[in-house]
Amino acid sequence: MTPHDLYEDLDRIDARLLALLNERMERSLLLRAFPDGAEDAARHDEGSVERARRTALCLAGPEFAAGVYRSIAGECGRLRASDLRTVAFQGDHGAYSEMAARAWDAKAAAVPFREFVDVFDAVQDGIVDYGIVPVENTLGGLVGPVNSILVYADLKIVAAVDMPVAHCLLAPPGADHREIRAAYSHTQALAQCRRFLARNKLEGRTAYDTAGAARRLAEERPAGAAAIASRFAAELYGLEIIKEDIQDAENNRTRFFVLSRSPALEAGGKCSAVFFTEDKAGALFRVLELFARSGINLTRIESVPNVPGDYAIFLDFEGSDRDPRVAGAIEEAKASAREFRLLGCYTERRL
Amino acid sequence: MKDLKLTGSRPGAERTVIDVAGVRVGEGLVVIAGPCSVESEDQTVRTAVAVKEAGAKMLRGGAFKPRTSPYAFQGLGLKGLKILDKARRETGLPIVTEVIDTRDVSWVGEYADVLQIGARNMQNFSLLREAGKSGKPILLKRGMHSTLEEWLNCAEYILAEGNGQVILCERGIRTFETFTRNTLDLSMIPAVHSQSHLPIFVDPSHGTGLLDMIEPMSLAAVAAGADGLEIEVHIDPSSALSDKDQQLRPEAFARLMKRLTRAREFIEEMYAREES
Repeated sequence: MTPHDLYEDLDRIDARLLALLNERMERSLLLRAFPDGAEDAARHDEGSVERARRTALCLAGPEFAAGVYRSIAGECGRLRASDLRTVAFQGDHGAYSEMAARAWDAKAAAVPFREFVDVFDAVQDGIVDYGIVPVENTLGGLVGPVNSILVYADLKIVAAVDMPVAHCLLAPPGADHREIRAAYSHTQALAQCRRFLARNKLEGRTAYDTAGAARRLAEERPAGAAAIASRFAAELYGLEIIKEDIQDAENNRTRFFVLSRSPALEAGGKCSAVFFTEDKAGALFRVLELFARSGINLTRIESVPNVPGDYAIFLDFEGSDRDPRVAGAIEEAKASAREFRLLGCYTERRL
Repeated sequence: MKDLKLTGSRPGAERTVIDVAGVRVGEGLVVIAGPCSVESEDQTVRTAVAVKEAGAKMLRGGAFKPRTSPYAFQGLGLKGLKILDKARRETGLPIVTEVIDTRDVSWVGEYADVLQIGARNMQNFSLLREAGKSGKPILLKRGMHSTLEEWLNCAEYILAEGNGQVILCERGIRTFETFTRNTLDLSMIPAVHSQSHLPIFVDPSHGTGLLDMIEPMSLAAVAAGADGLEIEVHIDPSSALSDKDQQLRPEAFARLMKRLTRAREFIEEMYAREES
């Protein structure tokens, strides 16, 4: 053991301490959404202080441990009492969805959830104020289960973010890039870097999330392993960037929807809707025709399989439902299509 | 010369021209300039800006250094490659940098436009094969004790992997003369032109190791028909971590570039007049 080893350990411990501290504050913040949540959480925090005093270890003595916890409890209480907006995203801290959330509202607290469906549920149940999900990518197309969930979720789209996605190959600091044999990341990211991986004889291995792969790499430091994630994730987990911009195509962009229980307050310039059509000739055409005749520009048409032979059609178009022309087309579409539902009118931000 | 199936001259066929990020190597005179070693971002970017202003078409700079002593500065490695990448973004100059380890070939290829195989590695056959597989343009320096035939056979290794983008570079050989660092063998320019279709560059910095000789040898190389030059330039040679005594200051390099242009014009005009 050398001082260098010990300093490395300290850095690793500090990173984990901060990550855990942040996680505790997130959990504590979410409690405010429940009935009596703030009072119960304050009582629980008092218990945490006492527990710290009792279970204090050799070096972190009773008074010190209790003092640290009193400080944490105080900050958690302050957060619960604040009007901080919460945004749920899928993945770990450092995910592209979190970057999109920050681009939408830099002051909101982005809270990680494991699966997409967890994000939808958290918004639906009122545990968070908003959710942010990727819907489409220029290279990978539709983002897996998100659109299927969106068909039936009773949520409104209140904003959209169109963001460039630049992947980096990350390794633990000090690791020899020549020893890297495998790269861990989300399947979508691996697919976007296929040629880079082949050129450098790296085996792509699937992880549930890009940032999650970066986090595991920083914590476990498996030999010969790297992760593909954002520059933001590299900074967050103290990883070294071996190479930036490793995606195969230049134009790699992802579009995100911000979801809420209630519609956007401002008019916005874009709308999204979903509907089904009768199983007969020209049914889809007749719906689209309504928009064409009203001079409304369609920006996206996507079909998502529902049951075999039945497809949900996603439609994005320019305009706002406060514009009578657009509102008229929507009313006509409701009469013509099956289960036509306006998902929201919102402002789209392109980065 | 036997067995130079791919490297040997092809009667009647055109000479090889290599496109390096828009720079046509094998057409006109292409000058590669830059520091011996990448030492810092500031040193590399400032040198890059200066050599570009003077007319250099590509930037050189070593990130992995093959040093005589294991205790001498070995280069910044990956960090050096990132600095070169920054210099390229600032100036638009394509990057030429040496690779010394087969395990580094793909990684250097991710950052560089041309992979340089140095004199000491000329006959490192596994490195040559790996460089061939990379599909990147290769600058192959002549070994300091190698014959033309041995050199061209090394190029053949790269071409045999399906990579025809090889630039040869004469950088001086060992002789009994010790006044100069090496003996710059300019006769290799017409020799390569007669025996191969590949472009031939000259490195007067390593070829002589003496500042005062870089200009006369560069002019001589241009007169002999070299396709390009590779010249070491450092923003502040006295502080350099390697090859302190053979790196030109940017002002001296700019002056040299002006004279090279005039020399080329003169030579071209001379041949053109004789033809007519």
